Amino acid sequence: MITKMSHATLYVTDQQKAYDFYVNILGFSVHTDATMDNGFRWLAVTPPDQPNLNITLLNPLTGFMYPDPEVRNAFKLLLEKGSLGGGVLYTPDCRATYEELKAKGVVFRSEPKEQFYGIEAIITDGVGNWFSMTQTK
Amino acid sequence: MPIPPDVYKKIVTAKLYMDENFHEPIDLQRISRQACLSRFHFHRLFTRIYQRTPHRYLTQKRIEQARRMLAGKELSVSEICNQVGFESIGSFSVLFKREIGSGPQHYRKEARMRQEQAKRTPTAFIPHCFIHPHPGD
Repeated sequence: MITKMSHATLYVTDQQKAYDFYVNILGFSVHTDATMDNGFRWLAVTPPDQPNLNITLLNPLTGFMYPDPEVRNAFKLLLEKGSLGGGVLYTPDCRATYEELKAKGVVFRSEPKEQFYGIEAIITDGVGNWFSMTQTK
Repeated sequence: MPIPPDVYKKIVTAKLYMDENFHEPIDLQRISRQACLSRFHFHRLFTRIYQRTPHRYLTQKRIEQARRMLAGKELSVSEICNQVGFESIGSFSVLFKREIGSGPQHYRKEARMRQEQAKRTPTAFIPHCFIHPHPGD
């Protein structure tokens, strides 16, 4: 029986830039930052209200995860175009968070709009991913 | 009743002011002045948008910064207490424990142990499927 998700992965073009975005701008906490002798870095962060959900920020172009060059090239293309949809980030107030993050230099693909499920803006992390940033009804 | 866009900007401006100046003795009057709103209106709108009072937000911001400093810097607990804007070590310890679940000294000890372990044996933190080639790859 599976009862919860403990880890989810976001692939990123650059782990240090990802650290800056998720920790310094969004305010996530670092759960684990461990680097192996071969340079593989396991960087796991947790959202402010979900200390038990590890989001690992991994670069698929390094390490052993994806040795196949075709797979790596596919990842490279998707990440460089910022095409990977990372999921939905919840905010209690979409418009306020939009104003705040915009002031911090975050790039949005769309500004807050009323949807049938709430108010949604499309946010990018600058390292390959976009998210729905939603205030649910 | 919806909050007008210009008022959102005012509240966000005040929040960003708190984010940048949390280590200083900030009170409601000073923050609401940043928003060009009366104390009453600012308190009401901030609480509605962020689902916590400005005072609680400021306390959480200070605790979060203290948490990072305890894990990463060599300063004493009382130095950190002062640097993040608390006036008394007693109230800092009580509030830290309430927010984080353990006292500052205990938190620091555990964070340091974890960091040491991550340095010594990084593989203890990384699921092996991420560091070894998958069968069939």
